[in-house]
Amino acid sequence: MAQVMMKDLNKKYDEVHAVKDVNLHIRDKEFVVLVGPSGCGKSTTLRMVAGLEEITGGEITIGDRIVNDLPPKDRDIAMVFQNYALYPHMTVYDNMAFGLKMRKFPKPEIAKRVQEAAEILGIQELLKRKPRQLSGGQRQRVAVGRAIVRHPQVFLFDEPLSNLDAKLRVQMRVELKRLHDRLETTAIYVTHDQVEAMTLGDRVVVMKDGWIQQVGEPLELYSKPANRFVAGFIGSPAMNFMEVAVAEANGALWLDTTGLRVKVPAPLAGRLGAYKGQRITLGIRPEDLHMATSNDPADYSFDAIVEVVEPLGSEILLDVKVGQSVIVARVDPTVRAKLNDKLRLALHPERVRIFDNKTELAI
Amino acid sequence: MAAARSAGRARDIRLAYLLLAPTLLLFGVVIAYPVGWEVWTSLTDLSPLKDGSAEFVGLSNYRRLLVDAEFWRATLVTVVYAVVTSAGKLALGLGFALLLARPFRGRALVFLAIFLPWAYPAGVSVIGWYWTLNPPTITAYAPFMGHLKFYVDSALGGGAWAFTSVMLFNVWRGSSFIAVLLLAGINSIPPELFECALLESKSPWRRFRLVTVPLLKPFLALGVFLSITSAFADLSNVWMLTAGRIVFPLVGTHAYWLAVKVGQYGPASALALTMGPFLLVVLLVLFRLFDRAERSAA
Repeated sequence: MAQVMMKDLNKKYDEVHAVKDVNLHIRDKEFVVLVGPSGCGKSTTLRMVAGLEEITGGEITIGDRIVNDLPPKDRDIAMVFQNYALYPHMTVYDNMAFGLKMRKFPKPEIAKRVQEAAEILGIQELLKRKPRQLSGGQRQRVAVGRAIVRHPQVFLFDEPLSNLDAKLRVQMRVELKRLHDRLETTAIYVTHDQVEAMTLGDRVVVMKDGWIQQVGEPLELYSKPANRFVAGFIGSPAMNFMEVAVAEANGALWLDTTGLRVKVPAPLAGRLGAYKGQRITLGIRPEDLHMATSNDPADYSFDAIVEVVEPLGSEILLDVKVGQSVIVARVDPTVRAKLNDKLRLALHPERVRIFDNKTELAI
Repeated sequence: MAAARSAGRARDIRLAYLLLAPTLLLFGVVIAYPVGWEVWTSLTDLSPLKDGSAEFVGLSNYRRLLVDAEFWRATLVTVVYAVVTSAGKLALGLGFALLLARPFRGRALVFLAIFLPWAYPAGVSVIGWYWTLNPPTITAYAPFMGHLKFYVDSALGGGAWAFTSVMLFNVWRGSSFIAVLLLAGINSIPPELFECALLESKSPWRRFRLVTVPLLKPFLALGVFLSITSAFADLSNVWMLTAGRIVFPLVGTHAYWLAVKVGQYGPASALALTMGPFLLVVLLVLFRLFDRAERSAA
């Protein structure tokens, strides 16, 4: 049980500055997910916590100890790797007991802990097998079991579900969440999958190019993205972006581009005053668009031409052309739309996001 | 339908044999015929010194070997040669491979230095070694080498220095090969397996013993087998490094001497063939080791 603090954490390789000024306070028992595209520095950050990468600058604290110069073994962490990292020459039991054996735990204690972890994970029958005889999901359970038996202060997960097929990934995701609720151990989890990040994390850290973009609870990231990158990265299908001009007419501000002209909603109008006459980026989530009805004010609706129809059962995704841009709308499954149909869509004015074109920060 | 399918199948089979033909031809010409000839010769008294056709003598060539002191001496020397050089090559090769497994400044140069003994033409390096150990002209180190040779020979008997130099050369050249083989082995192991051990133990020796060695087992087994067989089959290096004055003969060099210098084809063939069963046993033992690791590999 421990908190983890990263202070001005930096990692430089010869040419590459992989992690830049990361400051992060992970609270005791918290499940924090680092997410971002490949090369964003999330794995490097995790490996610095583990002690597998040297820290170029800054400080990492686990519990109340600065661990910068502690060898990995003394940091009291357990790590689960993407490719499971099970020893092919050892049985499941020996793999799970490995860390305890290396630390010279007494045999009965090892047996007790392995038994316990095997029960939690439902792999009691597999203990005598070799990793080769296990399925991907079973191997991942063993890898998690090997981490559990150590009773570490912090769990480190490095893309643990990426090698599993889609169905199994969803199932293991739920299991990991349940496991964390049960063990209440601080966990740092790295993934490139934003769905995994959203579903598992108490808090999610979005990274890009070595920088932290935003730290927040999943729904906070979703509804209040700090910048254009976070807005586009979190959520699937991704948020639609359109470049629009801010114009004044009839005593109100309007967002204007070919094929689209919507009134700036009241709460945004104040913040947009400074952008009069400039171009900004408008962000609309696909689910914040719907088929316009007579109740929708004309100020918030526009024409669109259907380019692709993706019926998903519970919903329909429409790729539609608005002026020069193609955007995605998530509409009710009862909507009947065909290729090249002309529709009228409306947006939820209070849910649109706007971003500065230069800084890409939310306005 | 059925006829068409069976015609297609016949065509496939013909094609399969056609594709196999070059290998079968090569195997027949280079392995099956010479070995068959050797087996037959070992059962005869064939000799270029004897007039008339060879006569079948049954197993008498083999029976004579069993009571021949020279044979037993050659066997002993061969085993010593194989064991000592293999141990040396394995220790050095493993050390080099572990050294090269991690990145460090100048790694490429060290790699080159380690790989060069294997990459360099054997014939040229043999002469280099021979001249270094037995300087043909007056050089700065010639007296030193002369003394060394004298002390080794007077302590261990005439020819001991030459035999030592053969072993040194074999280890020098072979450790280079073993190093590259084991380095390839280490590189084929996912780095997470080593990192995982790093998270659990500070002791490099424990990690080496409990993780590195078991994971490298298949490569070590292959390295040992190649090392032992090449020691058994070593002829040219021994011949060149001793300039043909072989005091400590190996089974192979003794057989060569018997056949080519003495003209006893029959006994020489029998002698050479005695290595077969021994190497087969070594292969089986190592294969079991290799195979066990392989079967459990993820």
